Amino acid sequence: MSSRLAIDIGGTFTDATLIDEDTGAVSIAKVLSTPADPSLGFMAATERILAESDVAADDVTFVVHATTVATNAIIEGNIARGGFVTTEGFRDLLEIQRQTRPTLYDTRFEKTPPLVPRDRAFGVTERLGPGGEVLTPLDETSVREVAAALRDAGVESVAVCLLHAYVDPAHERRVGEILAEELPGVPISLSSDVAPEFREYLRASTTVINAAIRPVVARYLENIERRLAEAGVAAELLVMQSSGGVFGAGAAAQKPVFMVESGPAAGVIASANLGEVIGKADVISFDMGGTTAKVGLIQGGTPSVTKDYSVGSHASAGVGGLSLSGYPVRTPVIDLVEIGAGGGSIAWVDSGGMLRVGPRSAGADPGPVCYRRGGTEPTVTDANVVLGRLNPGYFLGGEIALDVEGARRAIAERCAEPLGLDVVEAANGIVEIANAAMVNALHLISVQRGYDPRDFVLVGFGGAGPVHANAIQRDCEVPTLVIPQAPGIFSATGLLGTDLKRDSSLTLLRPLEDLDVGEVERAFASLEETGTAELAREGLPRERIAFVRQVDMRYVGQSFELTIPLAEGAFDEGQSGSLRERFHAEHDRVYGFSAPAEPVELVSLRLTTVGRIEKPPLRTLERSERAPEPKEHRQVFFAEAGGFVECPIHDRYALGAGASFAGPAVVEELDSTVVVHPGFGVEIDDVGNLVIRKEHA
Amino acid sequence: MSDTESRPVDPISFEVIRNALVAATDEMVLALKRSAYSTNIKTRSDFSCAFFDASLRPIAQGFAQPVHLGSMVQQIPHAVRRFGPERLAPGDMVITNDPYPSGVHLNDVSLIAPVHHQGELLGYVANLAHHVDVGGGAPASIGAFREVFQEGVIVPPIRIVREGAIVDDVFRLLLAQIRSKHETAGDLRAQVAANTTGVRRIQALVDRHGRDTVLATMEELVDYTERRARAELAALPHGVYESKGSVDNDGYTDEVVRLRARVEITADAVHFDLAGCDPQRRAPVNSTYAQTFSACAYVLKCLIDPDLPVNEGFYRLITLNAPPGTVVNCTWPAPVVGGWETQTRLTDVMFRALLPAFPDRLPAGTKAMMAQAGFGSLDVEAGKYVCFYDTFAGGYGGRAASDGPDAVQAHGQNTENAPIEETELNYPVRIPTLALVEDSDGAGRFRGGLGLRKDYLFDRPTTFTILADRDRSGPDGAFGGEDGRKAEYLLIRGGVETRLGSKTTFDLEPGDVVSCRTCGGGGYGPPAERDPELVARDVREGTVSAERARDVYRVAVVNGAVDESATSELRRSA
Repeated sequence: MSSRLAIDIGGTFTDATLIDEDTGAVSIAKVLSTPADPSLGFMAATERILAESDVAADDVTFVVHATTVATNAIIEGNIARGGFVTTEGFRDLLEIQRQTRPTLYDTRFEKTPPLVPRDRAFGVTERLGPGGEVLTPLDETSVREVAAALRDAGVESVAVCLLHAYVDPAHERRVGEILAEELPGVPISLSSDVAPEFREYLRASTTVINAAIRPVVARYLENIERRLAEAGVAAELLVMQSSGGVFGAGAAAQKPVFMVESGPAAGVIASANLGEVIGKADVISFDMGGTTAKVGLIQGGTPSVTKDYSVGSHASAGVGGLSLSGYPVRTPVIDLVEIGAGGGSIAWVDSGGMLRVGPRSAGADPGPVCYRRGGTEPTVTDANVVLGRLNPGYFLGGEIALDVEGARRAIAERCAEPLGLDVVEAANGIVEIANAAMVNALHLISVQRGYDPRDFVLVGFGGAGPVHANAIQRDCEVPTLVIPQAPGIFSATGLLGTDLKRDSSLTLLRPLEDLDVGEVERAFASLEETGTAELAREGLPRERIAFVRQVDMRYVGQSFELTIPLAEGAFDEGQSGSLRERFHAEHDRVYGFSAPAEPVELVSLRLTTVGRIEKPPLRTLERSERAPEPKEHRQVFFAEAGGFVECPIHDRYALGAGASFAGPAVVEELDSTVVVHPGFGVEIDDVGNLVIRKEHA
Repeated sequence: MSDTESRPVDPISFEVIRNALVAATDEMVLALKRSAYSTNIKTRSDFSCAFFDASLRPIAQGFAQPVHLGSMVQQIPHAVRRFGPERLAPGDMVITNDPYPSGVHLNDVSLIAPVHHQGELLGYVANLAHHVDVGGGAPASIGAFREVFQEGVIVPPIRIVREGAIVDDVFRLLLAQIRSKHETAGDLRAQVAANTTGVRRIQALVDRHGRDTVLATMEELVDYTERRARAELAALPHGVYESKGSVDNDGYTDEVVRLRARVEITADAVHFDLAGCDPQRRAPVNSTYAQTFSACAYVLKCLIDPDLPVNEGFYRLITLNAPPGTVVNCTWPAPVVGGWETQTRLTDVMFRALLPAFPDRLPAGTKAMMAQAGFGSLDVEAGKYVCFYDTFAGGYGGRAASDGPDAVQAHGQNTENAPIEETELNYPVRIPTLALVEDSDGAGRFRGGLGLRKDYLFDRPTTFTILADRDRSGPDGAFGGEDGRKAEYLLIRGGVETRLGSKTTFDLEPGDVVSCRTCGGGGYGPPAERDPELVARDVREGTVSAERARDVYRVAVVNGAVDESATSELRRSA
């Protein structure tokens, strides 16, 4: 008997999920997070779930971990004393940044403070041109002088970013060797290794983040590995990357910048895996928790990935790629549109007399008014309670008895009365406004990127997701909504079904008509060799390794590239020949125009080396021939039905496969509540998903 | 949503539609940025997008640049009226860059598309983008010209897209006037794509919520904004505030360009009176009415809740007296290319006027110039003319509780720098240095930010233009703070440095270096009151020298640390 273990450390709770590799049986455990030393919570959750499921430590074959440790280290300033080495004349790159203000009208703004201050930033004598040509040879003496200054400054980690090193890393590598000699024990991060892409500030920023969090993350992971070993768990520790694959703890400790968005990626991967199970390759994932909602897109089984991302910015909810605050990161991150609309988002009336929802959140503490923890401002959850959608006696399985009157009073005083609405209208308004924000987010991830949401399946999860998902489905006209089992811990199951992944890339910059097919094939082959060697070090046999090749292309003169996936097999004249046409088509799809007469260039080659890990089986649900019996009825508000209606309430655990019923209905389970609007029908599939579709009139 | 009869639009639909309108203009911003060609648009974000209702009132704006805040809302309605709204059919788009009667400088080219729904006009989407070259007397179309005709191709509102297709004859005629045809063509196509996105999104919104609800929401949005803005105004310190300032010279003569601003805040409106500014010049320092109005809009926006939407309801609160024929409301055919320089300096003058009323909110003097540079050269072999445009950051002014940030854009300008690697890859230039200008801070209790140095090295004959300011006087200090160090523009030829003017076009030989060093921000409060630990940090980081620490800040820094007793001695004797 063998089991896989996933540990997801969040701000409040540390979640453990264990799945039996033979039966697919899932068990979960939750303990309080231990921010001072997260590895304590990690082990507490591990020990608890092993004990409760009666699984021996040495039966665990696979431990995968999602963590916010990297992001938190940056946000909290818990970073290494770093040094920065660049080409002479550019030591102020980190200070100047993009020369912009993070906000347009705030005269008291601050630029994002550099992670390495100016007195630990140094230039070395060398210079490459944009084609990699050596304009000034590397002066090794200047490097040794810089090394001495770094030593005097007591640096614990160093980032190196030389101009145009993405074309030719030779100077950077030599600088790295010298620094390693001169500064034994100090980790050196090279930009050509971490993020070999052009635009120096973005590359430098990525490399500096890597260097800044490297010691912290390495210590953290070593701690966990040691404690796991002490507890008798022999399986290798794997860590979720921002791009959705996992990598070994050793690799993670060297390139921690690849895991800055470790947590949110899991939900998208879980959605992609679910899509595979139900035979749907095109999926939109909708994950709503206490403070935010996150929407991701999976096309052809592959989650969209972006490189326009900033860590430590306050406005990640802004329009994608336009955030001017925070530290830019150019490593692949699963493309999520995240907005400040969660169960805890606060509803308020602004000075113009209009109802607003968020961006402030009551969070977990004090939380919504109905939690009785001292919250006074009404939230989306309070609105759902007033509308009868959440069961005051069965929240988290009855752990918290919700204060309905408190919720009503807060909405009445702070929203309904100032607006001249009755309390139910106001509560419904709060929910509608939150829903509309999520609809806009869904548009941004789909329509704005050239996808029609009607061609996708929506997967709704997170504690609050299933309450709102059907309304989002309705407003975006998505034909099918799937609510998986245990939606509150669905993300964690994503951790258990993810493959080992290594993303690598190489900037080539060649006009398409001058493309040397042999050169491209050799470059890909070399990336594949490196990727294979890295995965082999993690014990993965050759036959489980696969490659995904992509190229980034653009019209000559553009700066944003479009990524075009390549077919399997060697890059040959045939593949090369079809590239131009595929690029025009993709450009037309994304931007609504193409320019067939314009020259096209290939910017970079991207390779994902995938180490396939067998997916755990999904437990099938017993079929139930009986019509489902609601456990009770209660009054639930639906605007389209004209107000409160007597609504059947189902116990999810009593629903067998094949069961079906029509909305309005509410389905309750321990960690979430599914709201089904009138006009929609529900079916339970063989693996226990609720499949919700519009009923034909 | 159930009907709520008491209001024309229920508050829920209102909030839903309001956010969707902003989302539509934001999506236009993304579409333009991502598909554009020139570094100036795709990387530096020198553009903005907006939606207007059928009567041409601004309803929603998706910004990249605050200078476009007030200028687009002047320019677009005028352009549509000049063209004739009745002549615009679905699928048409109008292009214009005409500064007269109500535009901005020629580089800012606007594209406007009507939005129809079931044959009925709902409004207009528009985007404005700064093109690297629009022809005229020098590459990048900036320079010290004497008439607008020398500044590039003037395009009155004309049809550029008919029934969804670019009007080829017009397109070719425009491109023929322009040096960097390839980039311009790509950028124009991106502008068309952005409007197409906007039209679709607004139409989808009406499909979903119904025409009447959307129109009623737009109406209510304007009123709502005005209500909130009035509430904000009521809370501001009412009074009359005045100040003066100047642009160093006009680029043709050495005579300073005097600016004067009187700002009156009342419970109902903010009146900007610019009487007393100099008459317009036959030189590139003339700001159009639209440009000047945008400075006023920017200043007001900085004083109120940043959450307040910008639309007609906000603009209604601004009144502006800018006498025609002056440098703040120039008349045809005055050159306008440097109008943004005057406009930005004017913003600083208005801040200066308001500083006593908002001492905690407003900074000491900032960079307050656009600091533009452009160059171009002919690639004879390829038969291509390559043009490049960039603007330089400078020091921001110190504030009541914090230093002015180093090397950052100020006021209506928030364009990114062109990355070194992207520049060297795409343009025939090398950048040997990008750095902070040490010791350029205006000293103060909270010091001004440092200026920026950027050098350009050329290996082929190139024409270079600087269109900037502040090399005669640095930004003002406030409340006892010192002025920031002034800017310097240098030509380095064969190792010999020559001072260049702040508004000049010149030819370069291979090996020449142009070095632009912008001004530092003004200091806030007396320098001798600066926390000695902050001075020591600056000395350690090399931004302030130990000599200036001692002489100006009266702090003795030894081995990177404050020498307490020597510092007390210095400060006692100050």
